[in-house]
Amino acid sequence: MKMKNPVQGVKSLYYAKDNQKYIIADTPDIGVLKSLGIVKNAIVFKKMTHKLGGPVLLMVESSQIAIGKDIAEKILVRG
Amino acid sequence: MAACHEINEDPKLYQKSNKILLMGNPNVGKSVFFSNLTGIRVVSSNYAGTTVSYTEGTMKLGNETYTLIDVPGTYSLEATSKAEEVAVRFINSNPAAIICVLDATNLERNIKLGLDIQRYNIPVVYALNMVDVAKRRGYDINLRLLARELGAPVIPTIAVKNEGIDKLTEELQKILNSSKTTCGNCASCPGCAKLGMNTWDRAREIAARVRIKTEGKPSFLDRLGNSMLKPWPGIPIALLTIIVSLGVIIGAGKFLQEYILGPLVGDVLVPFFKMIISYIVSEGILHNVLIGEYGIFTIGLEWIIESILPFVFLFYVVFSFLEDSGILPRLSVLFDSIMRKMGVQGGSMITILLGYGCAVPAIIGSRTATTKKERLMISAIVCFAVPCISQTGALISLFAGFSPILLVLMFLLSFAVMMIVSSVLSRIIKGKVDPMIIEIPNLLMPNGKAYAKKLMLRMKNFFLDAEVPMLISIVIAALLKETGLLEKIAVYLEPIVSGWLGLPRSAVIALILGIIRREMAVAPLLEIEGLTALQAFVGGTVALLYLPCLSVFGILSKEFNTKTALAISLATTLNALLVGGLINQLAHLFM
Repeated sequence: MKMKNPVQGVKSLYYAKDNQKYIIADTPDIGVLKSLGIVKNAIVFKKMTHKLGGPVLLMVESSQIAIGKDIAEKILVRG
Repeated sequence: MAACHEINEDPKLYQKSNKILLMGNPNVGKSVFFSNLTGIRVVSSNYAGTTVSYTEGTMKLGNETYTLIDVPGTYSLEATSKAEEVAVRFINSNPAAIICVLDATNLERNIKLGLDIQRYNIPVVYALNMVDVAKRRGYDINLRLLARELGAPVIPTIAVKNEGIDKLTEELQKILNSSKTTCGNCASCPGCAKLGMNTWDRAREIAARVRIKTEGKPSFLDRLGNSMLKPWPGIPIALLTIIVSLGVIIGAGKFLQEYILGPLVGDVLVPFFKMIISYIVSEGILHNVLIGEYGIFTIGLEWIIESILPFVFLFYVVFSFLEDSGILPRLSVLFDSIMRKMGVQGGSMITILLGYGCAVPAIIGSRTATTKKERLMISAIVCFAVPCISQTGALISLFAGFSPILLVLMFLLSFAVMMIVSSVLSRIIKGKVDPMIIEIPNLLMPNGKAYAKKLMLRMKNFFLDAEVPMLISIVIAALLKETGLLEKIAVYLEPIVSGWLGLPRSAVIALILGIIRREMAVAPLLEIEGLTALQAFVGGTVALLYLPCLSVFGILSKEFNTKTALAISLATTLNALLVGGLINQLAHLFM
């Protein structure tokens, strides 16, 4: 597989732009995230980031999931 | 009547024969299936993972009787949470069959659960629920293909409208009668052929193949549900929801109190019992205990039926609606940033709101918190600053004679205490609080049958859990009063009650009874003639912040330990006397 730079294009979900599709590159090892389908290579749509340290709102397929800031910062996406 | 009870750990159940497991993701509508299939009472919730305990009920299929078990909602069978651990233990306990409810709007994740279940070789029938919502979102599902991939029948259902449930029981009977398991012939079964694949990848691949794109048409509720997640117009809608809820509880409660229950108690029940008891029992202590000033049939009926019952009933009417319609998780998202600053997270808001009904289910509900620190914080916040609905009802009755401003001030005071307590606790309790991760369910009109059953169960629990201690406390009040013991205790407590708090001496009884039931710290104040507005407010403050009732003490010792229960009780009591006294002293300084 061609891989120039594995870090290229990878950013934190929390700071990624709203209203865009992303592919999950890496997530912290948390059972609930896995269960909700937020696993490596899953496609997610980031709807918005709530202000003042609020959560990130994601669409995984057609379910909406809210993820607190401290975890959303640690989820890495490509896209 | 069929048996229905909540069980935490019951080894007997593992040995029971003829078990059918009802499984599926949280919020998928499992509880609606359960109440339809068993026709008995069940508590269903619309937010992720509220119940780690499970419910069982009896289900008749033809001539056979089965036990249907409502397994806690799980996303997978990887035992990543307590609920999933319980689910795995059930699946390993030799069930006759599984009904697995799948969410048509979240195919990948649900197919993944189906594939997990497939590995256990247990007869299974799938209910593909919320097909109507999927259609509105723009896709149909190829049922035949999905059934082939999952190796079991797939029945489309709309549980909230009771559609497809008959077909489901029919299929269930068929698979129970045929001795074959779902996965007997490995050569032709697509499931086994691809076992080597990662389950997530396979689920994604199947989902892509069975999904048929159509023209979607989001309904009004879909659009409303989405806008309730954005600060604008979400926050105004949330505030409006809270105001309307309070308005319904207080307004309709006062209406019931004044026009229906008040006259019923005052003009019918009390005179009736007075007449009968005077006839049977001659004057004396027993006579007074039954129908005297603090008599069971006078004050007991008045406090319970008139002052408290209407508010308890309406609280659960409103709360169950907010819960089942999917409004509560939206509030947690909107208020997550504030809750974070308090040292907890948005998801805890639901548990704290539940505490406004009663602290006991809130403390049990705090089990969903992922860390011990968060559990302890939620429980302490509820004990310190959240009045239960019975107490709120009593406070509303108490302030009715003065001004509604007192009630508003009381709520502001409770918020202030909540903020202070949580910020202090988040500093002194060791450990951490995990950030919020929640799935937001679709906004929907609750299913009438499931909603009514839930309401009934909650009222029944209230009568069983609350009314008995309340009656006991009324008997104690009557005995204390009639034997003259009250006067003797009052002498000892006078410096605190009259000196520091500025309350009449007879308010001592409120402090004593408040130990048993929270509203009993308020109710006796209703009987004191000539109470000033300040005294009512101070009395209300002490009651609000006072030590939680005996049942709360019990649940704290059970869920944590006696030391924690004692610490919380002592701290709340001191806090109540301190704040109440300060208000009294400051008011006298300035007035």
